[in-house]
Amino acid sequence: MKILYLIVLSVSFTFATVGIPKLSPEASVAMQKELEDVARVGSVMVDGDVCQKIVTEQAKGFLFATDPRDRFLAGDNYDVDDVAFNTVKKTLTRLSHLASFPADVNLWMPIEGHPGKIQLVIRNRNEMSQFWNWGELYGDMVPQMETVLKTGQRVTVTSKPGWISVLAPVHDSLGDVVGLIEVVSQVKVDAHENVK
Amino acid sequence: MVVEILLHWMSSAVLMRRLQTRFVFLFLIAIYSQVLLAADLEALPEFLRSDPFGAIVAPDRSGADLASSLYGAKHQVVLTGCRGGYVSFHLVVKLPSPSTYTLDVTIPDPANKVQIDLFREWFHFTDSDKRYYPDALIPVHATYSSRLPEPDNRIPKQTAQAFWVDVYVAPDTRLGIFSGTAKLKANSKITTLPIQLTVLACVIPGEDVVTIDHNSYGSSWLAQQFAGSYQRNLDHWFESNQFFELIHAYHRVFYEHRGIFHQLGYGHSGKVGPEFAPVLEGSGRAKHITSWGLYDRHYGPLFDGTAFSASRRGPRPIPFVYLPINPEWPASYEFWGERGYEAEFVNVVSEMERHSREKGWTHTNFEVFFNHKKRYKGFPWDGDEVRFQKDLKYFLEYDRLLKKALPPNTPVHFVFRADVSWDMEQQFKVLNGVVKLWCAGGGILSFYKDAPKMLRNRGDVIWYYGGPPSVTDSSAAITEFPLRAWLWGVNGYVHWLTVSPGEDPWFHFDGGRTALVYSGERFGLTEPIPSIRLKIQRNCLQDLAVLDTLKGRKSLDSLRAEATRRYNDSSLDDWWNPRPALADLPSDQWLGSAIDDATRHTQQALQHPAASAAYKVHQYALSLQAEAK
Repeated sequence: MKILYLIVLSVSFTFATVGIPKLSPEASVAMQKELEDVARVGSVMVDGDVCQKIVTEQAKGFLFATDPRDRFLAGDNYDVDDVAFNTVKKTLTRLSHLASFPADVNLWMPIEGHPGKIQLVIRNRNEMSQFWNWGELYGDMVPQMETVLKTGQRVTVTSKPGWISVLAPVHDSLGDVVGLIEVVSQVKVDAHENVK
Repeated sequence: MVVEILLHWMSSAVLMRRLQTRFVFLFLIAIYSQVLLAADLEALPEFLRSDPFGAIVAPDRSGADLASSLYGAKHQVVLTGCRGGYVSFHLVVKLPSPSTYTLDVTIPDPANKVQIDLFREWFHFTDSDKRYYPDALIPVHATYSSRLPEPDNRIPKQTAQAFWVDVYVAPDTRLGIFSGTAKLKANSKITTLPIQLTVLACVIPGEDVVTIDHNSYGSSWLAQQFAGSYQRNLDHWFESNQFFELIHAYHRVFYEHRGIFHQLGYGHSGKVGPEFAPVLEGSGRAKHITSWGLYDRHYGPLFDGTAFSASRRGPRPIPFVYLPINPEWPASYEFWGERGYEAEFVNVVSEMERHSREKGWTHTNFEVFFNHKKRYKGFPWDGDEVRFQKDLKYFLEYDRLLKKALPPNTPVHFVFRADVSWDMEQQFKVLNGVVKLWCAGGGILSFYKDAPKMLRNRGDVIWYYGGPPSVTDSSAAITEFPLRAWLWGVNGYVHWLTVSPGEDPWFHFDGGRTALVYSGERFGLTEPIPSIRLKIQRNCLQDLAVLDTLKGRKSLDSLRAEATRRYNDSSLDDWWNPRPALADLPSDQWLGSAIDDATRHTQQALQHPAASAAYKVHQYALSLQAEAK
């Protein structure tokens, strides 16, 4: 019975550790600290004025458009200014190199005239985000994002098991918070997720 | 007294008559019950699918007149076919009450050139119309024993089980007639259906006139669909032999059905799955390949053809493959437009060319293909289905980089591929000499009747794309795609997704518009299993290959015209749409609904082919072969 108990215990432990990826608390704190450092630098380096030029007027005009005969109407009209996009994306990529582990820095922008909605504008090579539902053009703003946009303070989010995101403000030349960056990583990177 | 006697006699006579009538009635009931209760074995043409209660499924009833087409004068199953291919039909076991049974199908051939593949048809319950349709084909032995209702399919009051019979006729089979039987044992009774197979002189060409591609994205779906295998080796499954054998098995199942298989290895932001690319290290001019390990295990057997050694079609290198090249691989996008981007791209692509050359992988077209769309937020230009002309400058830059990376006379075939829709007419011009493999949206390509010939004349390859029909469509719906490709004069057709049967294809099926194969794990298999739709598509490809061989005797146009007439009483022009006014507008001003309007003609003319449509084309091909003989 004792042996059986030990086997069951050992199997349960294996499943538990495999099922939910976990780091030791110290390692997790260290990861979070690095991501916070990247986010702090990111707030300084990312140019909010350039960020505001990325999504084109045509794309904004169609973002909420619907047509029962054309379910891809908004997506088919999504367009960006590639110069502005490339400028910001290069900065985001370089910021991600500051972390000693695979991390992405994504750009999120609020949508004028649509409070409570937010748009992911730039993703990066590891295809990580704690908030983006694959394929969506825009989504509901989570309260932590709203806090960043309202207060200009950084917020760390670990709601999704195994994920750490640090949200940090992006300022324009007037000093206003016009967007935010998500500095994100996973405790256990899934090499096959989002390869599609 | 006389009256009494008379009355007695009369009553006796009435009684006798009553008894006789009752006896006859009971006797008839008994006989009729025997008929009703008797097990039955029915053969149906490939285009008539049975439901689990023995009726033809509703979408195929338009072809119900075919039901007797398989039977000869002596109630034997009559099959006729060319060599080098398959003749197929359904066998339906009907048992009116729950019972065990054994089905045995044989066509003896001492030379073993005629072989039978028997498949049990799985009845999928579709949530959309609450009905059952057969589609997944579970390989079983030619002698199959089970019971009805079939335990694993769990259909209450099931009275019929359908089987798909593939009769393979090898290219070197002797001509003439082969006899066989289908035998059903149930309730201590044996029902026998004689089978007569006539093998014609014609040989179906090994090469197809149209390439049918079956597309997929990434590998994570393999872990979901073969969860048992994955769970047993969670941490290392994606590097295991089982994993690579499974990928090869997917290539094999499509190859065996005269198709090809594509697996895109990167995401919309450029993340590359480890098994799709060599390992890179360094940055800028120091960026280089450090390991071919997973890449070679994945692709080696596909590029040299050994993955198909056991196939009836023989080993053959795959003709096309996606490269992992995307804006983020091998060069880092943070260097886009700078010398470092060019250095990284050219160095690594040159290494890939050299590696392929040294391995002798010179029979496969290595596709440089950009799948990303800006709506998925990874990059600022559309690689797939360009709508905004300004995006084309990126294609021109990659063409420059590619030419710099490759030796001018390399025997390794790198080919620039573009999947086009909105702006295809412009791209055919602007990217002339850059893109050599075009994959065009079928709706918009239907506006440009001259395009296939123009592209092929300059040496380009042109495919069009769409998606598989649902199992709730007529059985012949799948044949429209290869037939259209042949009629249009394009090189091929792409099913955009073919390996995604939904969360529960077995009991809550979504219809299968993104699947033509299924996981065999449920049935103890470590491979995918085919579908009825895939088999019907293969048989259609055989017919097209045969028809095309006759273009020396008849003009290709007359062959095509007669095929369309027989298929659905249409003309060749019905398969094209007139060029609409919107085609003269910049494509970023088009609306999706306007495209629907502009393709209405073909949508209406070709909607819902009858179940008998492809059968008539098949008969046409056979009749021409008989004439040729």
